[in-house]
Amino acid sequence: MKATRTHTAAGVLLTPFFVLFTLVMVVPIGYAVWLSLFTEKQSGLGFGGKETVFSGLANYAAALGDPAFREGFAVLLGYCVFYIPLMIGGALALALLLDSTLARARRFFQLALFLPHAVPGIIAALIWVYLYTPQLSPVVDAMEAGGIGFDFFAPEGALPSVINIALWEWLGYNMVIFYAALQAVDRSVLEAATVDGAGAWRIALSIKVPLIRASVVMVALFTVIGSLQLFTEPLIINKGTGSSVTSTWTPNMYAYTAAFDRNDYGLAAAASVLLALTAALLSFAVTRFTGRKGKKA
Amino acid sequence: MSPSWNRTSPAIVGAATALAVLTACGGGGNGSNDSTDGTKPVSITFWGWAKGSKEVVDAFNASHKNIRVKYEEIPSGNAGGYAKISNAVKAGNAPDLVSIEYPMLPEFVSQGSVQDISGHLTDDVKKKFLPQAVELTTLGGKNWAVPFDASPQAFYYRKDLFTKYGVEVPTTWDEFREAAEKVKKADGKARIGTFFPDDPTTFQAMAWQAGAQWFKAEGDTWKVDTSDAATTKVAAYWQGLLDDGLVRNNASFSPEWTNSLKSGGTIGYLGASWGAGVLTGTLPEQSGKWAVAPMPSWDGKPASGMLGGSTFAVTKGSDKTGAAVEFAKWMTTTEDGIKARIASGTSSAFPAAAELRPAAKQAFDATYYGGQDIYQVFEDAGASISPHWAWGPSTGTTNTVIKDEFGRVARGGATIADAVRAGHDATVSELKKRGLKVEG
Repeated sequence: MKATRTHTAAGVLLTPFFVLFTLVMVVPIGYAVWLSLFTEKQSGLGFGGKETVFSGLANYAAALGDPAFREGFAVLLGYCVFYIPLMIGGALALALLLDSTLARARRFFQLALFLPHAVPGIIAALIWVYLYTPQLSPVVDAMEAGGIGFDFFAPEGALPSVINIALWEWLGYNMVIFYAALQAVDRSVLEAATVDGAGAWRIALSIKVPLIRASVVMVALFTVIGSLQLFTEPLIINKGTGSSVTSTWTPNMYAYTAAFDRNDYGLAAAASVLLALTAALLSFAVTRFTGRKGKKA
Repeated sequence: MSPSWNRTSPAIVGAATALAVLTACGGGGNGSNDSTDGTKPVSITFWGWAKGSKEVVDAFNASHKNIRVKYEEIPSGNAGGYAKISNAVKAGNAPDLVSIEYPMLPEFVSQGSVQDISGHLTDDVKKKFLPQAVELTTLGGKNWAVPFDASPQAFYYRKDLFTKYGVEVPTTWDEFREAAEKVKKADGKARIGTFFPDDPTTFQAMAWQAGAQWFKAEGDTWKVDTSDAATTKVAAYWQGLLDDGLVRNNASFSPEWTNSLKSGGTIGYLGASWGAGVLTGTLPEQSGKWAVAPMPSWDGKPASGMLGGSTFAVTKGSDKTGAAVEFAKWMTTTEDGIKARIASGTSSAFPAAAELRPAAKQAFDATYYGGQDIYQVFEDAGASISPHWAWGPSTGTTNTVIKDEFGRVARGGATIADAVRAGHDATVSELKKRGLKVEG
């Protein structure tokens, strides 16, 4: 009797979640999978209308066979290789600095570092495009005056440009998460370490970081998945400048361009599904990998 | 790009389309409303971005009782306007009438997004327009849009600085190169013009002017040819200008480009008839300093392509075709329509309908160009538009790919010829994918 009542209560409480989950997650993903199995065919010169035909996995083959789509993943890989260590390392370093006894004006720095995150991504990208543009940007002018000629829109400059924007946006946010976790560290452990003669460095690396491992793993996971979704910043750079950031620079942009510039919804859906699968696999890998290491330690 | 919430959006496109379908269920379906003789006016919605559109709509509403037009300004086509129109048509909540430039019209027709309006365009209406404009809006023997402007190419230049630097206005492309060298020599920071990596249609207009014919429909086969002598010549010429640093390399209408115009770093602009109004609006402080010349040509004889240019098309879902076409005809064939647009002060449209040109010229305030008769320049250029060009049915794909490659050209990673080749290959495979017959 008691068990039944608990079941009913759980059912009632969970219903809103499942309704929303179905509407905004399951249905759109299902629809994307459905769309990805069809393609549109025309006849004559193509001006007589079109018909939708089942094409099986042809859209997937087309996406995977397109060098532009594969290059998008290569760009993502390059992005992750630089961005993730910089982000985790940078946020962790800043959080540890704020948490150390040396830091002054903590609240000010906490706020100042977090502030960029309050700027919407699209606005941030616009600001940075301005700062990157030769002849407009005081930064580029100053760099040139100092003898540093760097083209932020050149093929070799594109990746650093995008990474820089993303770091600016997210560093403070992740720093706050780490800092909050550090606040929860038992002070008596730190005092014991001090009594045992550990210096600030030793305490930070051997005690604080291991104690906030869970937060680091979580931030790493979110950063990996967020990286796969890379879209806004490169899109703004692509639209606003004649740069080497192409309209298919990342897989997300590839899907967007396929749908909205090339009117190929089947291809766009297939590319999206492939990207979603990659994200799922990577999340699984990250949780498994970090989880196992946790058990050993 | 936001770790905290983007986990819920792994299928952005799927979600967006699903949303479109949901909205489709909600909108539309208010019965046939096409009668224009009833007491209650027919309401139609019009999406566009061309300068002066709002003024035209206001003037129409003030003088017509049977039709009410609601104007909504959307971003220009390549800046997202076309995507917006396509999505609205798919979602079933599209406006009745939309602006589509000539290059994109075949794409919209082949996507089934616009209606055949042959039944509403009689021969005596069609013969008012420049034949090339009618040709470009007639696909597969049917009329799909009402042409508005003819947009012949034109060369805008800073008269004061040309005089100061002792540069003659070029009439051939060889002279243009010499002039470019002189400008650069006179002022190391100044350039005669700009290569627009973001806008393939500017390059295509140059190829068109040189006599290229990228798309040809023969029977039910598309012949795609971008490796012809004319295109090759134009590509090599512009590559040379870029390699020698004789032209600027900036996105069109980007802050960077506008800034260089303001500072005298760019003293010429290879554009089209509508560019006169854009310059007036963008650089009001340079009034009296600009002049317009015919586009340089290869043999010195007048020759022109068409760069952009608007048409008005009725969307697939609209049940007010008659009213929409009537309003489009008013905009494109009546003196009141053209006067309202040009009197807005921001438009220098060159109407495809020849009989409207005197009215357009009269309404245009030429003070900015020192009183020059710029409509005469457009008139001559309009008469020299090569009639051989046609746009293919996949301009979205063709130009997206060329634009991407032009971005690399801008930064030294590829050549213009590579970009054209890439656009060609993408076009051929896109047409094949759609099941069309294609050679090239």
